[in-house]
Amino acid sequence: MGGSSGGAALEVRDLRREFGGIKALDGVTFAVGPGERRGVIGPNGAGKTTLFNVLTGEVRPTGGSVRLRGEDVTGRPTWQLARRGLARMYQRNELFEPLETRANVALAIGARRGPYRPFTAAPAVELEAADLLLGQVGLAGRERTPARSLSHGERRQLELAVALAASPQVLLLDEPTAGMSPAETARIADLIASLDRTLTILIVEHDVDVVFRLADRISVLHEGRVIADGTAEEIRGDVRVNEVYLGKAVRA
Amino acid sequence: MRRVGSWAAVAAVAAALVSFPYWTAAWESSRYATTVLRDMLVFATFALSLNLLVGYAGMPSLGHAAYFGAGAYAAGIAGQRLATDQLHVTMGAAVLVAGVLALLIGALVVRSSGIFFLMLTLAFAQMVFAIAFQWTEVTGGSNGFPGVRRPSIGELDLSAPDRVFMLVATVFLLVTWLLWRISRSTYGRALIGVRENERRMRALGYDTTRLRLSAFVLAGALAGVAGALAAYSARFVSPSDAGIGTSVTAFVMVLIGGAGTLLGPILGAGIVLYIERVLSSSIPYAQTVLGLLFIGFVLLARQGIIGLARRALALATR
Repeated sequence: MGGSSGGAALEVRDLRREFGGIKALDGVTFAVGPGERRGVIGPNGAGKTTLFNVLTGEVRPTGGSVRLRGEDVTGRPTWQLARRGLARMYQRNELFEPLETRANVALAIGARRGPYRPFTAAPAVELEAADLLLGQVGLAGRERTPARSLSHGERRQLELAVALAASPQVLLLDEPTAGMSPAETARIADLIASLDRTLTILIVEHDVDVVFRLADRISVLHEGRVIADGTAEEIRGDVRVNEVYLGKAVRA
Repeated sequence: MRRVGSWAAVAAVAAALVSFPYWTAAWESSRYATTVLRDMLVFATFALSLNLLVGYAGMPSLGHAAYFGAGAYAAGIAGQRLATDQLHVTMGAAVLVAGVLALLIGALVVRSSGIFFLMLTLAFAQMVFAIAFQWTEVTGGSNGFPGVRRPSIGELDLSAPDRVFMLVATVFLLVTWLLWRISRSTYGRALIGVRENERRMRALGYDTTRLRLSAFVLAGALAGVAGALAAYSARFVSPSDAGIGTSVTAFVMVLIGGAGTLLGPILGAGIVLYIERVLSSSIPYAQTVLGLLFIGFVLLARQGIIGLARRALALATR
């Protein structure tokens, strides 16, 4: 579980990102092993979203490195990282609003074969696979509904389905239960817990109960730095973490 | 059976369109309707090519006339310099020049979006216009390029007006068919994905810059085809064919008809040319009518005529 294990699915070292003098990431280092579920928690402004944006290549780091399944991918464009097995469930859904849920997922499935097929329609297998995945995330019967017509909870489910459809090896979940009712939260947490154990998952989540349930290990981010890294028990017992985050989160 | 029926209907409409000059010859001796319809089809082809950008890929180009004009000049100049009237040479030159021009300009502009994309495409098109206007030895400059040769296919001479019409109608149908296939394909679906959410497309592993560039080049090459048809039709190329007025006209056609639909740009081209050519001789302010119509659609019916028709249909069948 050391910081420099060669077999890490995802490894960042001394990752830095400044926005006009503000250090959003101030030397973040951690490694996530294959199949591990890693929680990332921390107060607002700790750098969680910036970390995800740098990991997906949407924001360039000002320093440090990112390794994806052993390969240095620092500064690579987002689409290349996706091709190398990285997927993201966005905090604010990034969907194809007027398209049917099935078409949303099919676009993700079709990414593997590439778009340059100007004379062939989407193969039936893609649509079947899309419908299957929609069933898995609890959207059976909604295959023909446009994304924009779904409820908030359903949209989160679709967002997850789209992220999963690319068959990633590493999945970034950005607040999967944001804005959900307790029942919806429980359902999506069950769903994430049931995902294939070979899938490596990094999860940012404000609902600490969800994080403690899903994560094998937890990294605590504070002011752009990892201030603690350990199992749920270790994190619960960490004085500093309770000071900056958990104490408040539990009391709130 | 239904499929066979609809194919038969499409074939019948296509045959009627291509043979229009012949079955109307009896009552249409002046060939006025044939000429207007020919120009409608030329502009419908042009508008369809722009619609691939505006309607499908979500790239509002305000400089699409650059490729139309480039195709028109290329067809005319290739015919003159190579001393040939063969369709594959002059049309090939039009497609090649317009496509390469779109590749060069596209490589510089496709990374931008929205209003920046609009302004950049306009700026580059104005440069193309300036070249057409000032490179007198090649393009004829402000006088335009006269005497464009009408094409032949082998020994088949297409220079008679009715045959030019048939050529235009046939190419229009081919381009429509091509774009129909594309709109239903994986590629067309990916362009719609780029239009609706480019960030998500990138996160899924699509190289959206390359996708946008491919659409830009394809649309440019097809605009070149339309430009060649315009040059054959008028036997003349004017620098204004590459100018902002032509770009705006095509844009208006796409928006009035309905961006992102196949039928919309065709209807739009028909309506705009009907107002400009036919109505303008009977009512005094035809251009004003066109302007008001455009404003009306922008304010009240963004989806154009096709969008209105769909809404009406949805209300009727509710």
